[in-house]
Amino acid sequence: MISEEQVRRRVTQIMAEEFELEPELLQPDATLYEDLGLDSLDAVDMVVALEKAFGMKMTDEEAVRAVRTLGDLFEVVGRLSNQQAAKE
Amino acid sequence: MKAEVVVIGSGISGLTAAALLAKKGRRVIILERNKRPGGALKRFTRRGIPFDIGFHYSGGMGKGEILRALWEYIGVWPRLVVLPFPPEGNENLRITDSGRVIRAFFSYDRLEDELQRVFPGEKQGISTYLNRIREIANTIPFFNPDLPLTPYLHDLFSPKSISLAQFLTSLIQDTDLHAVLSSPVFLYGVPPREVNLTIHASVAHPLYSGVYAIDGGGQAIVDAFLATLAEAGVDILTGQEVESVLVKENQVAGVKTSEGEICASHVIYTGHPTSLLDLVPDGIFRKAFYNRMRNLINTDSMFIVFGAIDDPDTLGDLTWANYYNIGTGLDIMNLDLRHPEKWIMINAPGRRDSNSTGASRGVLLIRMSVWDEVARFDQGVQGKRSAAYRKWKAESADKMIEQAGRLWGNAFSRIEPLAIGTPLTFRDRLGSPMGATYGVRHSMNQFSPGVRTRLPGLWLSGQGTLMAGIMGASLAGMVTAGEIESLEPLWDEVRQCR
Repeated sequence: MISEEQVRRRVTQIMAEEFELEPELLQPDATLYEDLGLDSLDAVDMVVALEKAFGMKMTDEEAVRAVRTLGDLFEVVGRLSNQQAAKE
Repeated sequence: MKAEVVVIGSGISGLTAAALLAKKGRRVIILERNKRPGGALKRFTRRGIPFDIGFHYSGGMGKGEILRALWEYIGVWPRLVVLPFPPEGNENLRITDSGRVIRAFFSYDRLEDELQRVFPGEKQGISTYLNRIREIANTIPFFNPDLPLTPYLHDLFSPKSISLAQFLTSLIQDTDLHAVLSSPVFLYGVPPREVNLTIHASVAHPLYSGVYAIDGGGQAIVDAFLATLAEAGVDILTGQEVESVLVKENQVAGVKTSEGEICASHVIYTGHPTSLLDLVPDGIFRKAFYNRMRNLINTDSMFIVFGAIDDPDTLGDLTWANYYNIGTGLDIMNLDLRHPEKWIMINAPGRRDSNSTGASRGVLLIRMSVWDEVARFDQGVQGKRSAAYRKWKAESADKMIEQAGRLWGNAFSRIEPLAIGTPLTFRDRLGSPMGATYGVRHSMNQFSPGVRTRLPGLWLSGQGTLMAGIMGASLAGMVTAGEIESLEPLWDEVRQCR
């Protein structure tokens, strides 16, 4: 099991590094598109970076499309990581 | 110089995009770093025998089919003499392990009959497979043009279908049949365990619907496009290498080439997406994009012997049949590096020319190859490589010729190699990293690059963005032109030409 806190820290670190975002912007209620300035083109890059870091697949998940805030992202990444680790 | 659109690369995707945008009234310039335009469709000649590099046959050219409609719309179709494969045309698949020979006809019905004859115990599985391919194709706008294009292209995160391997093993026991039904993978370069059924169907469906050659080969297609483009006022500047994409106020402003600057508000890059990264100033793309593009997994490469045979009669029915020797099961793309010549293919596209006296002697021996085979020779420049490389090339070709003789008769062991293409050749001539035959792998394990980029005015095209092969690349050119113009209205006009 990967803890909520670990997920939060790692996702925040990846978003800061890969998208060159200021760490203080990376709050759970920050929206990816409006607050962080990402666009639909960044979404694929983000998914690829997170899949690599967490060793899981986000491709086939409806939930990924519903992600609006960074908090949503923490939740989805944590859930999928633990689900997929349990299957292996 | 000034244009509205600069297209980098003159392969079929660049030619298609340029023709469509010119038709819409845009001023277009195509830049090509080689001396001759046409990319992988070009022919070359040795001892009077023409050889095709990349185009051997394609689906999609029947009445009502999409490549024909697109080329009708562009105006190149009337310039081409299309040669449909006759009903007996087939992929002649020899399975090494069992010695079985299966004729995979280019027709759903004939293929079904042949497979059910050879594999009577798998009748149900064969029908289910073929029906499923047809059903999937019916959900893809390129094969069911009544559908809109946008939902299909922009749908990235919906659940994808299962892999080809999973589907086949759930349906069929016989491993020879697994190999036969997987064999279209050679036309797009993704192993059966890695490709989802939708990608497979997008190549298998047109293959099973009938295939076509063009009189004069790929060069005739290039020439038809060049004539149409000349009439539309498109300039093609050859021998010009693009050094960088110019950016002003976070928007494309043109390109800088070895010869000077060209102003343009749109730039279409048709090369491999990884190579684009070096042309764009720092700070435009984010690190995540660089990482994703740099880590893209590509298709493998090929080793091709372009040879001549003294007595063309010995080639038998090679005009309308392609001979393959493949393994059984789902690992038909795995290369045995100790015996890379084991699984080979013979093909003689020049024999399909209506006037094929000289062409009838030309034959291609093809096998898969990987960069690892040639990495140690990657020094010096093209044409001046080491003696060790030339020796390796000649020996590898001889092994393939011997193997062809063993498999298909002694006459094939007398093939005389006139030219040899390796991953190094394809890397240098076609600009494909590590000589990748079909560019980026359309694998379940990665997202293929899209047409849009973060930089307004900079677009990608080419087979890596959509589908492999000539049909995939030409349609990719249409999609890119459509994104610049307006996708659905353009699609609507193209499909009117059915």
